[in-house]
Amino acid sequence: MTKSNDKTALRYTQTLLAGLWRENPVFRLLLGMCPTLAVTAAVKPAFTMGCCVIFVLLCSNIIVSLMRNLLKPHLRILMFTLTIATFVTIADLFLKAYLPRMSEMLGPYVPLIIVNCIIICRAEACASKNPLLVSVIDAVGMGLGFTLTLCILAAVRELLGTGKIFEIHVMPEAFVPWAAMSMPVGAFITLGLLLGLVNKVTGKKA
Amino acid sequence: MNKISYFIKQSWLLIVASFFFGLLIAVTNAGLSPRIIQNKINKRNRLVTGLLPDARNFVPVDSEIVIQSIEGRKTKVEVFKAVAENEECVGWSFNAAGPGFADKIELVVAVDANFEKIAGFDVLSSNETPGFGDQIKQDYFRDQFEGAPAEALKLVSLGEPTEIDSQIVAISGATVSSEAVVEIVSHSVTQIGEQIRQKGILGHDQK
Repeated sequence: MTKSNDKTALRYTQTLLAGLWRENPVFRLLLGMCPTLAVTAAVKPAFTMGCCVIFVLLCSNIIVSLMRNLLKPHLRILMFTLTIATFVTIADLFLKAYLPRMSEMLGPYVPLIIVNCIIICRAEACASKNPLLVSVIDAVGMGLGFTLTLCILAAVRELLGTGKIFEIHVMPEAFVPWAAMSMPVGAFITLGLLLGLVNKVTGKKA
Repeated sequence: MNKISYFIKQSWLLIVASFFFGLLIAVTNAGLSPRIIQNKINKRNRLVTGLLPDARNFVPVDSEIVIQSIEGRKTKVEVFKAVAENEECVGWSFNAAGPGFADKIELVVAVDANFEKIAGFDVLSSNETPGFGDQIKQDYFRDQFEGAPAEALKLVSLGEPTEIDSQIVAISGATVSSEAVVEIVSHSVTQIGEQIRQKGILGHDQK
C-alpha cells in the first residue's frame, strides 16, 4: 500500500519537475518562442505573461482532461482551440479591467496565447490522455517552468538594457545601459546564449 | 435523417461546449465591462488633462453631433466641454479615429475654448510600425499641433517643425502615419467646429 503510494507521489513530483527542467517548454522543447522573444524586455510584463499562461494552461488542461473520454479524434484539435480561446479571452478581459496599463503594454501578445504551442501541446500530450490530477500538476509544472524562463530572460535583458530590475535601479551609476538589449536583437542574443548555456550544462550535442 | 443523427453524434460535444464557453465569456464580459469602460474614460480624461491643464471636469455636450468619417460613414461624436474649477470653459475635446498604416488610429483631440486653436492630440490606440510610424506619439510631432489653427491642416515633408501653423511636418520615413493623423485631426476639427458654431453651443458657453 505504502509502496504504491510512494510510487504515485514520485510520479507526481516527476511530472511537476519535468516542466521546470527536464522538459522545460522554452529551454528544452523550444515551444512558445513568440512571447519569449516579444515580452521579455522587462520582468513585469514577462511575469504577467507567465501568470496568464499558467491560468490558461491550468483551465484548459482541467477541461480537456475532464472530457478526454468524450473527444472524437478528428475533432480534438478544434475542441482544444475552443477551450484555450475561451480562457485566453477571459484572461484578456481581466487584464483590461484590472491592469489596463499592463494590458496595453502586452498588446496583441495576450490574445496570441491562443496559438501558444505549449498549451496545445500539453492538451494533446498530457491532458487528453491522463486523469485530472496529473493534468493539473503537469499544467502547474509547465506553467511555472515557462514563467521562470521568461523571468530569467527578462531579468538579464532589463538589467543590461536599462540597469533596472522590476523597475528598481540596481546597477552602479557609471553603468551605461545597452539599449540594444531592450530591442528584439537583445531577445535573440540573450535567448541564444541561455540556450547554449543550458545545452552546455546538460551536455547536449548539437 | 441518418446524416443528421451522424452529424449530431459526432459534434454534440462541440456544440454543447461552444454554448457553455460562449456563456462563460458573456458572463465575464458583463461583469467586467463597466470597469473596462471606466478605465478607458479615465485614460481619456488623463490624456485630455495633459492637453488642457486647467480642465478639472468634462461635461458631455447635449446636442447630437454627427460627422462624416474619413471612410464616408456618418458617425456620432461625443464632444466634451472641459471646465475649470471655476466652471469656466477651458476647451473642448472629442475622440477621432481613422485608418492608419497597419490598423485604426484612435486619437483624442483637444481644442481651445473658442474653437479657434488646437490644443493638441494624444493617441488612444494605434498599431503603427514601432520605431517609424509610432513616432506620431512623440512630442516632436505632437507639439506641432499645439496652437495650430483649428482648420484643415496640411502635411509637408520638409519644413520647420517648431513653427506653429497649419503646416505639419511629417515624421521622417513614415508619411502614411503622419498623413493619417493630420487627416483625422483636420477632418474632425473642421466638421465639429462648424456644427458647434451652427448649433450655438459655442456662443452659449461664452456668456
